[in-house]
Amino acid sequence: MNLTELADKERILEEAGYKYHFERALYLNRKTKKAFSIEFVEDMPLQELQQKIAEDAAGPGWHFFFTGGPPSEYIQQKLSEILG
Amino acid sequence: MPERTAEDVLREEYFDLLPDIRRLAEHLEAETKHRLLAVSRRLHEYERITVHSRIKDCESALDKLLRRERQQGRIFDPNKVYTLRELRDLAGVRVLVFPESRMNEIDVALETIFESRTEDPIRSDSGETLAFKYSGYCPEATGKIPGECQIVPMLTGLFWEVEHSAMYKPSPRLKDAVRTPELRERRQRVLDALGAFEREFERLARSETL
Repeated sequence: MNLTELADKERILEEAGYKYHFERALYLNRKTKKAFSIEFVEDMPLQELQQKIAEDAAGPGWHFFFTGGPPSEYIQQKLSEILG
Repeated sequence: MPERTAEDVLREEYFDLLPDIRRLAEHLEAETKHRLLAVSRRLHEYERITVHSRIKDCESALDKLLRRERQQGRIFDPNKVYTLRELRDLAGVRVLVFPESRMNEIDVALETIFESRTEDPIRSDSGETLAFKYSGYCPEATGKIPGECQIVPMLTGLFWEVEHSAMYKPSPRLKDAVRTPELRERRQRVLDALGAFEREFERLARSETL
């Protein structure tokens, strides 16, 4: 992945209201309660990332987008506690 | 009694390994200095070689394992078994070299410091080799964990040391901060500038001494 592509992705995330959480290496949107891991952002093609940003999140809790599928229940619960 | 977490188990493993980590670091430093004596004696007055061993502290080791495992969200998965023995840099030695043209000579002198070595050079985002890095076992010191050796241009290495002590040491997880494009780009500019300075200095120094 080149820096320009990663910068484009970061710009799109920022425009959609996402902030980078250094401690957890996640891009977060507290309004939509969606979180993308940095690995997911790096691995995902730009267009698919845009689709994931645009998707409506179902349910009230946090929604995690990780490479290799959603994290285990334990990790989802721990991260939800940390992120509030 | 609350159940032990993956972090608890790994912290216990770290302190079990600590005597071996220390022994390996001391061995690597002594062995490196000994092997570099012949090179050090031939240095010009403007040239420098420094050798420092270091051991990774417990929290940095746990954090490294999380990143190495690509453990997203930076939380250990309780359904997986982790071990710090997978890390190749619990003990290491860093050789800082000025100017960088001495690096190959040092690399040759340290070629057999490990029983067999795994090379893993440190590269810039553009793929250019910034420093030599390899790891392997030293059975004379310990067979439990591998050690690491880095040969780094001095200015770059000093920048990394500041970066490490100011940014990552207080919060190892900030290491992920440099993965954002803005910081990566600025960091790359610093490294390019340091490299350019070193090459130009060496060119001038050599023309003076000829």
